[in-house]
Amino acid sequence: MRIFSICFIVMISLLGGCAVKGKYNWNGYDKGLYDAYKDPSQIKSLQIKLQATVDLNEQNKQIVAPGMYAELGTLYLQEGLPDKAKMYYSKERDTWPESKTLMDLIIKNLDSRPKLIEKSNP
Amino acid sequence: MKYLLIIIVTIGLFGCANVQKKDLSAFTNAAPRSILVVPVVNKTLDVDAPLYLSTTLPIPIANKGYYVFPVNTTKFILEQEGLYEGERIHLIPTPQLAGMFGADAVLYVTINRWDAQYIVLSTTITVDFDYRIVSSTGVEIWRENKKMVYQPQNSGGGILGAIITAAIARAAPNYMPLAQAANQQVFQIGPNQLPNGPYATPDPVK
Repeated sequence: MRIFSICFIVMISLLGGCAVKGKYNWNGYDKGLYDAYKDPSQIKSLQIKLQATVDLNEQNKQIVAPGMYAELGTLYLQEGLPDKAKMYYSKERDTWPESKTLMDLIIKNLDSRPKLIEKSNP
Repeated sequence: MKYLLIIIVTIGLFGCANVQKKDLSAFTNAAPRSILVVPVVNKTLDVDAPLYLSTTLPIPIANKGYYVFPVNTTKFILEQEGLYEGERIHLIPTPQLAGMFGADAVLYVTINRWDAQYIVLSTTITVDFDYRIVSSTGVEIWRENKKMVYQPQNSGGGILGAIITAAIARAAPNYMPLAQAANQQVFQIGPNQLPNGPYATPDPVK
């Protein structure tokens, strides 16, 4: 009986060690992005999906997966909403210090050419 | 019963143990915190292959504890610079590319093979991918090759079921599970998996 228990514990710990941990809540980010590439009419649903994921994680005080704020920002930028885009680029930078160089660069570029973006999206 | 359990545990150990640990000292010395995933090079004729692969790269690398630059934002920025083709992007010196994004390392992926064979009863797809991570100083710190033969799961139902499965696979293929499995095996569970990154702790520090 003892050997049984020991084996059981070992097996469980092995399973734990083997299991690929889901660190973050990705909520089908990969599939959503694929669908949007494959069919651009799906871009909006990707945006809605990412927004819902980000909101839920914030509500639950869970860290948002790396890159997700920025991806959402880019979708808003492409939609012609630079202010909303900047807000999410800032969140990416504040959550992930590794992104600071890039996020600061994007935000700076957006600040220096606001008219251009407004023009392209009447 | 006792022996059976011991055998199962032993098999479990073997299943988990890495057959051959590769030398990861170059990677651990460089100790990148962030990885830039650039558009892949596609040497095949399949136009969907790079979409499947590039969208499934970030999750396993991030789950391993690295900051992964957002792939679609990266693609968008490169396009703003007039860079659309993976081939051209892969030719840019890594220090220049890494510097532009503030990345510690760059991941380059090449699709060498993506052959789908449609037979009456089944669909088999054979793939071959090359992965390389180069540090921001321009030194290659990790490399891997992945070959896989994949068959979309037959949902059962005998020959008729198999025919239907094959027909669906042919009409509207979904190779997401293939791409996810390949990348997960390469980065998270394979013998040459990445060492844990800075955010690998269960609860990343915010």
